[in-house]
Amino acid sequence: MREAAALARIYLRMLLGYVRAVLEYRTDALILVLASVLTQLAGIVFLTTVFAQVPALGDWQRWEVIWIFAMVVLAEGIGSLCFEGTWHLALYINLGGLDYLMVRPYPVALQVMGSTLGPNGFSNAVLGLALLGVAATRVDVDWGPVTVGWAVLLMLSGVLVKLAISLASNTTAFWLRSPSSSPAGTVHTLGDLARYPITVYSTGVRAVLVVIPLAFVGYFPAASLFGKGTAGTIGAFTPLVAAACIAGAWAYFRAGMRRYDSVGN
Amino acid sequence: MIEARGLTKVFRRADKPPGLAASVRHLVRPRYAEHTAVAGIDLSIGAGEAVAYVGPNGAGKSTTVKMLTGIVHPTAGEIRVCGLDPHRNRHANARNIGVLFGQRTQLWWDLPVRDSLALLRDIYRIPERRYRARLDELEPVLGLAGLLPVLARKLSLGQRMRADLAAALLHDPRVVYLDEPTIGLDVTARDAMRGFLRDLRRTGTTLMITTHDLGDIEEVCDRIVILDAGRIIYDGPVTAIKDRLARDRAVHFTLADACPGVDLSTDLPGSRTVAGEDERRVSVVFDRFVHGAGDVLAAMARHARVVDLSIDEPSIDDVVRRVYAGAIGDALPDRVR
Amino acid sequence: MRAHHRTLTRLAWGTVLAYRADFVLQLLGVAVQTVAVIAVWRVVTAGGTGSAAGLTWDQLKAYLLIAFATGTLMSGFTDWQLAERVLSGNVALELVKPVDYQLARFAEALGYVAGEVVVVLAMGTVLLVAFGGVPVPGGAQAVLFLISLLAVIPLKFGLIYLSGMACFWTESYYGVGVARVAVTNILSGALVPIALYPDWLQALCRLSPFPGIVSTPALVFLGEVGVAEAVRLIAWQFVWIAVLWLGARTVWRLAVTRFSAHGG
Repeated sequence: MREAAALARIYLRMLLGYVRAVLEYRTDALILVLASVLTQLAGIVFLTTVFAQVPALGDWQRWEVIWIFAMVVLAEGIGSLCFEGTWHLALYINLGGLDYLMVRPYPVALQVMGSTLGPNGFSNAVLGLALLGVAATRVDVDWGPVTVGWAVLLMLSGVLVKLAISLASNTTAFWLRSPSSSPAGTVHTLGDLARYPITVYSTGVRAVLVVIPLAFVGYFPAASLFGKGTAGTIGAFTPLVAAACIAGAWAYFRAGMRRYDSVGN
Repeated sequence: MIEARGLTKVFRRADKPPGLAASVRHLVRPRYAEHTAVAGIDLSIGAGEAVAYVGPNGAGKSTTVKMLTGIVHPTAGEIRVCGLDPHRNRHANARNIGVLFGQRTQLWWDLPVRDSLALLRDIYRIPERRYRARLDELEPVLGLAGLLPVLARKLSLGQRMRADLAAALLHDPRVVYLDEPTIGLDVTARDAMRGFLRDLRRTGTTLMITTHDLGDIEEVCDRIVILDAGRIIYDGPVTAIKDRLARDRAVHFTLADACPGVDLSTDLPGSRTVAGEDERRVSVVFDRFVHGAGDVLAAMARHARVVDLSIDEPSIDDVVRRVYAGAIGDALPDRVR
Repeated sequence: MRAHHRTLTRLAWGTVLAYRADFVLQLLGVAVQTVAVIAVWRVVTAGGTGSAAGLTWDQLKAYLLIAFATGTLMSGFTDWQLAERVLSGNVALELVKPVDYQLARFAEALGYVAGEVVVVLAMGTVLLVAFGGVPVPGGAQAVLFLISLLAVIPLKFGLIYLSGMACFWTESYYGVGVARVAVTNILSGALVPIALYPDWLQALCRLSPFPGIVSTPALVFLGEVGVAEAVRLIAWQFVWIAVLWLGARTVWRLAVTRFSAHGG
């Protein structure tokens, strides 16, 4: 436990250290923040226009859909704010950068994940939290200590699922040996589908979103919170799914490291 | 400090022709090509030794270093560095060792050097007092003060190497691995680096240097291990092998007029004169312990008007080539007169 | 087009073939967005039986498929290649060549468009099969549609070329590219027909060049606008093509002055 705290403290220092670098490229950081705000704005404009036409998307009320959307924005925000380095793994592998990380007394995966910071993550996290805050007052949930606690646990689980998906999809780079992170980018792009209730899709698309557990970032946890039948029951397992995803991604990363060991440069 | 026995590493590469069909076939029945990078190396390096680890490209140098540092797991054999198995106890081992890959930096590219060092302080969990004291120790020899506020990506190569060395030595490691520590440096920076490495040795630090530069070896190391095709083909004092095998120096002349048949072997006994690519170019190869470059120039000036010249120092690659070509018997220390 | 322009177009096409996997994956974003948006609109139109904003499900579907096509055209490598030239400083090499830089880049972009047409046809077929067919216009409407569709190419080029030049002032293109896509999504009508926006937002869209990218060809395709209105909208596309083309030349001159002053 004390060891975990020490690892976390060092991780935080790495991130904070990078804030200075972000300030070095201030214009770029601002453009990135503006760009991500505009991107989320496009999504909000879309949802607002849709709900001006109809009161609900099937079973899902307006603010419940916004809740899903906001969970995905929050997860992406925390992903780029705290774990942006995950996206540099392919570069590390192919430019030999892992070697230095391996001769330091700190887990390699965490060094990679904390090696940089996405300023757009800040605006996304803030925007996601703000949307969740507003949505919380509009959805039909009896907020008490238990429901709030459960909602927070579901949110954290969703963030962890997204994090695990990013780590695992980027870990593929150990086998591909190309400095671009195309497969991970593709998975991330598919994440756009998970911003809406997956009930709007055909069975095939739904299956994809369950297998690559993107639906557990926003849809299933929200279904649990709002008591949506079977989906809600599945959603109650989100924390377990999150734990399994993290364990799986971690194991996959270790397999990648073994691969790195056996292939050589 | 470093003990290795029967160290072997076999890499396995997928034997996969390009194309989708081949990829699918590979999934069903994978085939691999094996490549032995290191084939049973025994090595024992004591505290405070400085060992040059040399060999042609692909001989297995960096694979050995990767195994000794814990980056790569040996296929067979045993390693103990400061009593630890470097791969199994990677984190504990990391505190004992410092590593510099000359062609790559471990500094955070977008951060000032000071911030990179502070991050390493956190990662190695060096107490603040110890950290400051260490910076003070490194300051006079590495001239860090001027580098600390500079962004890593704005450093010159020589400055970068100094900052990287500080990063590698920050936690006061007992064993330091240096891979091409002087590559790309200008003469002044190279001399400074070698001076620093000599000082480092004097403090009792064990050094293992892989390099192509004979100067690094001569000025820093007293022991040389030569590797070829994954095997050690020589392990002994630097002086012995250098005096025996790295004697030849060459001066390449460009002459004002064609001068066919010029031969300095009577002026400089033991030297060889070799015709160049045209009649105005000629090279003289001589023993650097018998003649000086000045003697050669003077001798040539008696025969022809010299327009330009360049000098080739004996390179470690030549030495390795000659060891490999069978000169090894002559190079054994007990056979050196 | 002169000979060297044809060569540039051919070279760009070669790049598409060489990096076809990356090329297709880059275009996947628009396709995924289209799947999500179409799926949501299908639910809005009560599973395809009702209508929204006076458009039937089939019409909405056609609208969004056109949005997919025009969103994909001129989007793959063009902007990144433009930005990369500036960021790497290779643009300096172009400055000494006796060619019109902007025209050369347009010729190159046409090579990528060729690749994008292939992708649009392939992915569009998949989307048509998945969501069902759409009504196809004929006669004058079809001709007008083709003109407005072709106009999308130089229009988008103007916007992308201008946004790529932002790299003279920034260290990376990523943010600029994302921002351009987001603004385009909102103002072009790529996600929802502009007519569904509140009045002030509609007014903002109409003042901008963006509806020419999606809304104009889509509305002409659907026959939602009469011939006179269609001609007016298409004329508006061409006005913006001219404005952006000439505006880009001005910005280019400013950028080059700055570039030479700072040495890159």
